[in-house]
Order: sequence, then C-alpha cells, then structure tokens
Amino acid sequence: MTTVVRAQGLTKRYGSFTAVDAVDFTLEEGRIYGLLGRNGAGKTTIMQLLTGQLFPNGGELEVFGRTPAEHADVLRRLCFIAESQRYPEDFTPAHVFKSAPWFFENWDAAFAERLVADFRLPTKRRIKKLSRGQLSAVGVIVGLASRAPLTFFDEPYLGLDAVARHIFYDRLLEDYAEHPRTIVLSTHLIDEVANLLEHVILIDQGRILLDRDAEEVRGSATTIAGARAAVDAFTADRPVIGREGIGGLASVTIDGRLDQAERIRAAELGLELAPVSLQQLIVHLTGTDLAGTAEQEKAA
Amino acid sequence: MTTATATPLVRTESRARLNEIWRIVRLHTVNPSIFFGIPWLILGGAWAVTMVLALIVASASGAPADDILTGFRYSWAVLSPQWYLVAVGVQAIAFTFSFALGFGATRRDYWLGTSVMFVLVAVEMAAAIATLVQIEKITNGWWIGAGMFDALWYGQTTWLNDFYTSFALQMFVLFVGAGATAIYMRWRMKGMLSLTAALIVVVLGGLALLTATNSWIGLWTWLASIGITGVFTLVLGLAVVSAVGGYLVIRRATPR
Amino acid sequence: MDESRPIFIQITEQVENDIIEGTLAEGAQIPSINEFATFHRINPATALRGVNRLVDDGTVEKRRGIGMFVTIGARERLIERRRADFADTYIRPLIVEAEKLGLDVDQLAALIRAERIES
Repeated sequence: MTTVVRAQGLTKRYGSFTAVDAVDFTLEEGRIYGLLGRNGAGKTTIMQLLTGQLFPNGGELEVFGRTPAEHADVLRRLCFIAESQRYPEDFTPAHVFKSAPWFFENWDAAFAERLVADFRLPTKRRIKKLSRGQLSAVGVIVGLASRAPLTFFDEPYLGLDAVARHIFYDRLLEDYAEHPRTIVLSTHLIDEVANLLEHVILIDQGRILLDRDAEEVRGSATTIAGARAAVDAFTADRPVIGREGIGGLASVTIDGRLDQAERIRAAELGLELAPVSLQQLIVHLTGTDLAGTAEQEKAA
Repeated sequence: MTTATATPLVRTESRARLNEIWRIVRLHTVNPSIFFGIPWLILGGAWAVTMVLALIVASASGAPADDILTGFRYSWAVLSPQWYLVAVGVQAIAFTFSFALGFGATRRDYWLGTSVMFVLVAVEMAAAIATLVQIEKITNGWWIGAGMFDALWYGQTTWLNDFYTSFALQMFVLFVGAGATAIYMRWRMKGMLSLTAALIVVVLGGLALLTATNSWIGLWTWLASIGITGVFTLVLGLAVVSAVGGYLVIRRATPR
Repeated sequence: MDESRPIFIQITEQVENDIIEGTLAEGAQIPSINEFATFHRINPATALRGVNRLVDDGTVEKRRGIGMFVTIGARERLIERRRADFADTYIRPLIVEAEKLGLDVDQLAALIRAERIES
C-alpha cells in the first residue's frame, strides 16, 4: 500500500497556544479515514497543514512525497473545502461548479449536476444567502465531483437534514467504490459516519489519542455494570477508561475485549456486559460530560 | 502495510505553469460583474447624472456650451469607479484567496494570476476612458455641452497620455487595495495597525523633512518639471512596489 | 448493523444465516463487495473483510471476473459448526439465568417443552 501522507512531530502553534502538538501519523492510499475529535481539538488545523494552507512550526510533513505548501504538483491532487470556506464576493454555487474543472482534472460535471439535483441546491442564489445546509452541500458536491486523489471533508454535514446526510453517505460510498481514493472525513459527530470509516484517528487537544483500524476499535471496549464490589473485583487489573456509579452500583468501561470464558464468569458474577460503540469509546477517551449520559442510557 | 517510500512524483510544474496562472484570471472573471460590470454601472450612472446636470444648467442659464464645459472640468465624476475598484482590490484578495487555496492553487500562482487580471482590467479601463475623452471632445460634450471624461487632467494632450495616466491610476488603486489586504491576510489586525502607523510616520516625517529643509518650493518645481505624465509614472511606480510587496507578503499568508 | 461488534463479522454471519435459512442456495451468487457496502452503508474494505472470511473457510468461492458463489455443501458445514457452538452461545447463559431464578435443570427442560408445544 502506498503512503500518501506522512507526518512526523507535526506542530502548529498560535502564540502560546499549541493547536497541533507533535503528531505522528500516516495516511495510506485508497482508504477512508475518520479524523475525529471534539470541536477545537485540532482537526481543521491538521487539514489546513496537510493542504498547505498553514505553515507548520515544527516537524516534518510529506504529502505525495513533498511538503504541500506552494507545491503545485502536490496541491492539484488535493481537495479541501473548509467548513468555514469563504467564496468570492457574490459567487453562486453555479460559479463554484463552473470554475471547479480548471482546478480539478478529474472533475465530473455530470456527477456534480446529479448531486445538485439530489441535494436540491439552488445554484443561482448567492452563496451568502444560502442556508447552512445548502452551504454544506456546496462543499460536499465539490468534494465528491472533484474526485481528487486526496479529498478532505471538514464537518461535511453541518446543517444537512437526515435525508441529505444519507444522500451524502450513499453517493460517497458508490463513488468511492468506483473511483477509489483517499478520503478524510473530519467530524465531531461520529455515530452516523462510523461505518463508513476504514481507519480512525482521534485527536484531542492537538494530540493523537487513537490511530487504529475502525474494525479494531469497534467493540474494543466493554462496559461492565453491577454491584460495586463485583465490578471492582472483575475489573481490578484491567485498563479502566471510564467509571460511573450510583450507590452500591457501578459501571466501569475497560479497554479491551472479553473472551468467552470471561463473559461466562461475568455472567456468573451477575454482571451486565454492554458493548461500547465507537462514539461512546471516543466520548470516554476525550472525557466529556456526555460520558455520563451515554452510560446511563446503557445502564437503563 | 506502511511502506517507507511515498508515491514518486511526476514533475510537471513548468509545463502547467501558464495554465495555473491563467485559471486564476478565469476565476476572477467567473462573475464578470465584479471587474467589468459594476465599474461601468458606476461610470454610467455618473455619466447620466452629468448629462442631466448639463441639461438643467443649459436650460436655466442659457450660457454657451463652452463655458459650461469649463465648469465640468473640475468634476470628479470620471474617477467615480475608483473607490469601488479599491474595494475590488481588497475583496479580490479577501475572498478569492482563501477560495483559490481551497481549490489547490499556490499563493505564487494566485498572486501572479491576480496581477495579470489587474493589468487586464487597467488596460481595459484606461483604453475605454481615453477613448471616451476623445468622443466627448469630438461631440462637443455629447452634443449638449456635458463634460465628464474631458475633465481634470484628461483631454489636455493625446489619447496615449490619457491612456497612460488612467492605466497608472488603475494599477495603483487595485494593487494598493490588494497589497493592504495581503498584509491583513498575513498579520491580521496587527499588520493593519502597523501599516497604518508606518504610513503616518512616513507621511509626517516627509512633511517635517520638507518643511525643515525648506524644500516645498523645490518639490513643486520638480513635480511641475516632470509634468502630469511624470507624476503618474510615480503613481505607477507605487503600484509596482505594492504588487511586489504584496507578492512577498502573501507567500506566507494564511487564509481565514 | 449492531454498533458494538465488528461489522465484518456481522456481514459474515448475515450471509451464513441466509445460507442456513436457504435464502441463498448452494451455487447461488452472493452480492458484490460494492453492493454490500452501499446497501449497509459501510466501508467497502469492511465488506471485503467479511466476505473474505467466507472465502477462507470455503463457504463461498470466487470465480474470476464473474463474482462469488455459495459452494456445494456449505449449508451442511455451517449447520454443523453452529451446532457445535450452540451450547456455548445459548445453553450456558440460559442455565446461568435459570439458576439465578432458582430453576433447576428439570424445570428448565419442562419450560422448554411447554414453549415448544405452545408454538
């Protein structure tokens, strides 16, 4: 497999604030990556570094074998429409789609037209008059129809309704199956895209918390709930990543799978085992207040 | 699974160079109203107002057309699109820069393409205005003694002179707007404040120096000696300085 | 799809279930990787991994350029394997739960028989 991106010690600082803190990772050709993390974790900064929009303060970065900034032969293989993308004054979506083929050699105008119809995007309305969802649709259409070898989707479905989001997932998968390429989906809403991902990179406070195949992550953590003493005994020498409790009851999330014998033992101890989804695992790892809600739902 | 070597690159930069600059020019013209529509709308509006004024003055005073034309000589209407074009220079960078980078353009190609665009616009505006000056003279103020283009320093000598001064002014207006915005894109508010402070220091320093050395008369004499054309060569020089400076600044600028 | 377990395992199990239930006959063609991916809205690599498990244990065979087909005898082999796993996956948890409620083996057997007659 070919490496398209290699970052080593990649760092971006804004004054005293370190947005990206010495991260190491690689992206392989032809995969769909999830760049996950809370808002402000550093996802957009990483994508801006990878697309040469920002200059790193430290570390090494190679995209298609070179530093991306100011290298036309690298940049022409990339597509990155930022979530807060600015468009030229008074541009309409039609203007965007008209200029896209000059920049993306694989641009498929017929595909773009079909997507415009799918999303019911008004192409003659000024971009600044579009709703948040319609603005997202413009970015999604450019990202899909450009068929760039390395495509970034930055929070692609902000403001899109459920129907539009599913159109996005369907078209993405269909087109990816026909035209394999490297895709990076950045989002803080993990539930819906979890199944689309082949690999997950979890960012928190500018650092990488997790860099694993999505299938490896799925079910890699387990929540054990029951009487506090029994739960504590069962989880004593395991890596605990989350802990909740009410009165004599405890609910502990551990990193790692349980084998059949362990499951039986847990059942014999009267413990409830609940699998942890990707979304829940990430909530645990990035430690938010949401962790409590997710736990209670599981325990209920 | 991870291989140590990355994709070998086919170096095609030089072959595609012109194309990558040209597509920035095309990007600026996707919505032609910005550079070509609105300036003419403003100019047309000013022309219409001038015509109405001329008709009113003519019917009210009954003065001969030549006298009215003299009055119009001090009208600034011919410069009316310039204010808008400063804004165009600013917006070209503020909005298109981030968009072009999102589409995978380099900063270098972006600035070069934008500069080509500015030159094209300056040539177009200058040629048009210089020609309209001549038409206005031939028709003796559009047959009713209205003067708009044959005003200020225009219409004194040749078509070429009017073209040159218009071109220089147009380049100056566009590149100063773009250059200042490039400073903003790179250093944000801090850059703008420093730029303003620096300009104030330079202007005040220059004024102080001229006064202290009693050189005001010398300056006026010198300006008179180089003439209108010479003054606009200075203006064009400032435009070139803004263009080169903007290029150096934007090479490390980051879009918002 | 069940969020908690690897999706590729679920893909494998789903095809196996279809074969056991007879929805997919022996010798029949199974959907392509891209069909699995778009139908379930999952990554094609995941679908491939699930189908490859079927190929590896001989449940499905690849015919180059045509597609993937259920092998002859696949159903028999799958049923045999499921029977072997039956005690672990169903009986033991059943007994544990029954003991919690104070039901002994005879009572449990009686319950099963009663359930059988009702349905």
